[in-house]
Amino acid sequence: MADEIKNIDYEQGLPGAIDLHDSVKRENPLSQGGEGTVGLTVMVIGALILILGGGHLFSSSNGFKSSIYISENYQPEPRPSLGGDESAAEQVAWIEDWMSDGKKVYNNCIACHQASGLGIPGQFPPLVGSEWVDQGTSRLGAIMLHGINGPFKVAGQTYNQLMPAWNNLSDEKIAQVVTYIRREFGSLQEGDDGVVTTEMIKAAREQFGSHSGPYTEAELLAIPADEDLPGSRVDLETGEPLSEG
Amino acid sequence: MTVPQPTPEEMAERASIDRSTRYPVMFFFTSAAAWLLAATLLGFLSSLKLRVPELWDGCEFVTYGRLFPAHMSALVYGWAMQAGIGVMLWLMARLTRNELKHGVTIIVIGHVWNAAVTLMVFSVWFGFGRGIPLLDFPRWIWPVVALSYALIVVWMVPMFRSRRDSPVYVSEMFIVGAAVWFPWIFLTANIFINKGTAPVMGAGIDAWYITNLIYFWMAPVALAVAYYIIPKIAGRPIYSYPLAHLTFWLLAFLAGWTGFSRFMGGPFPAWMPAVSGAAAIFILLAILATVTNLMLTLKGCSKLWEYSPSLRFTVFGMLMLGLYALLSAMSSTFYFGKNLQFSHFVVGMDTLAFYGFFSMTIFGAIYFIVPRITGAEWPSGARIRSHFWWSTYGIMTLVVTMLVGGVAQGGNLAVWDQEFSTSFVNSSAYVVGRAVAWALISYSNFLFLYQLALMFAGKGRKSDGPTLIHAEPGTAPSAKAAAGLS
Repeated sequence: MADEIKNIDYEQGLPGAIDLHDSVKRENPLSQGGEGTVGLTVMVIGALILILGGGHLFSSSNGFKSSIYISENYQPEPRPSLGGDESAAEQVAWIEDWMSDGKKVYNNCIACHQASGLGIPGQFPPLVGSEWVDQGTSRLGAIMLHGINGPFKVAGQTYNQLMPAWNNLSDEKIAQVVTYIRREFGSLQEGDDGVVTTEMIKAAREQFGSHSGPYTEAELLAIPADEDLPGSRVDLETGEPLSEG
Repeated sequence: MTVPQPTPEEMAERASIDRSTRYPVMFFFTSAAAWLLAATLLGFLSSLKLRVPELWDGCEFVTYGRLFPAHMSALVYGWAMQAGIGVMLWLMARLTRNELKHGVTIIVIGHVWNAAVTLMVFSVWFGFGRGIPLLDFPRWIWPVVALSYALIVVWMVPMFRSRRDSPVYVSEMFIVGAAVWFPWIFLTANIFINKGTAPVMGAGIDAWYITNLIYFWMAPVALAVAYYIIPKIAGRPIYSYPLAHLTFWLLAFLAGWTGFSRFMGGPFPAWMPAVSGAAAIFILLAILATVTNLMLTLKGCSKLWEYSPSLRFTVFGMLMLGLYALLSAMSSTFYFGKNLQFSHFVVGMDTLAFYGFFSMTIFGAIYFIVPRITGAEWPSGARIRSHFWWSTYGIMTLVVTMLVGGVAQGGNLAVWDQEFSTSFVNSSAYVVGRAVAWALISYSNFLFLYQLALMFAGKGRKSDGPTLIHAEPGTAPSAKAAAGLS
């Protein structure tokens, strides 16, 4: 029987037709079925995979918001053993942050003083070249907290406008925007880094808090021109108060 | 082991199906094997250039930037996909119990495919590459590739519709899945990248394409092979058929979500890499189900591994699939991934998938199929053994050095205050391992191509016994003793 099958020639007369080769005969049939069950270990590993996957999904997906690009869990770590300085990676100078925050607060001022700080000639006074910006910080603090009612002379020109009070802003935001104005638009005196701290604005609130309504030019001129708000100066790299004051 | 013996009619049917697939399938196998040898040599050269960049200085044709994409294109489109298509055609014919028709048409379109791959590799080599991993070729080539793929696999549709066994076997499901999914991912990737999406999104889509090529095409083809060959050789059904079904559906639902985690921390909405990472972890369920299922199927007959070449290659490939899935799940989470991305680790992972997992499984299928369709036995078991071990040594060397080198390079990349090139210089020693690995793999595939060419030329061993890796101890490797082993 087997020999007979082996010699079946499917294309009779054609040379090279393959015979019923041994590999075909010895091959096992493909059995259907298989009802085995897997043990507890596999089930536990499977459950673990589900927990890990779900944990990853919900801890990193930020609520599937398309506006969030930075995942909090993603923060490459420089390893000191490879020459990286871990503290250096985080070290963006304090003043950079302080200034960029101040620039954001300055958006409140753009309508009148303009992004350039040049104001609108004849209508709104400039900050660039303004003696009120370049001088001591007390007058600036007073203006920020209570505003000014014109007429008011800036860099030789008289302006008749009302500047509103900004005392609804936090001390920190006022400090940031005053720092921004002074460092960006002011021409500061030797040794003045232009920085105004939260602590200084807090002191200004105490000093000028009793005043009601916007200042007039005469009231402002009563404050000495070179008077600075009290408070220690800070290290521009770290934002920490300098010990020598 | 009580295996029902096949009836003469069944044997005659098998023989006629095998004969109908002979020329198309052998065409795909031999041209794929030739591409594989070319790809491994290119892999060796590119790794060498990466380690010794001043070698043949000034010759643009041997720069890493051209050799590596040419190597990857040859490896994936020349070898892996072509061999996979051959395996799909044969398995489909066997599983649906239909003869393969339109063999001549398939061979003609196979030539078109090979021409497209040739153009692909040479255009990258001559400097027309676009720097998009695995889609490096000039944009006019992709419709040729897509169309020739479609015109080859479309002949499986009538075969599937006229299948003769009513319950669809799980391997059939995997093949149908792979046949349909590849056009989807290939068209999606090419259309979105070529028709002007944001370049950042293009990179994300490319990463999606690569992992999907692995999980949506290579994994189904390889699992179809494993679920066919392992029960056949073991002579028993799959341990748990429902679990095999589950694997298919898990893969079908999860594979498409992977990929974006390759660019975690990049300018994408944060949920995209997070979802991809979760999908890579959930896919472990499918892989766990597969590996457990196949190992339990083989329980008690592990000795077969020592004799049967098909079984040894297939099982090794499946274990590498497990390793790949595990590492890809790990590196898809932020905890590990942020220190591994953009490093040698990625190259190691891709090679682990393309060679360690997919190619090794396909070798198993080829060692099973070719004796049946050529009617001769493999000339030498010793050469099969060499093929296995040199390939194994090679791929393990490559994977281990690239993974460790990737950890070193990724750590260096995170050191922001050193020059970028330092990260590379510090990890370049590991590239030696990669060059050595490709040399070993090249050698093993020279043996493979040589044997395959002998079979193709009808110079196979005419014998009643299968060619085994080792002869069974104490007995001659007669047909009876080695029933079903190869």
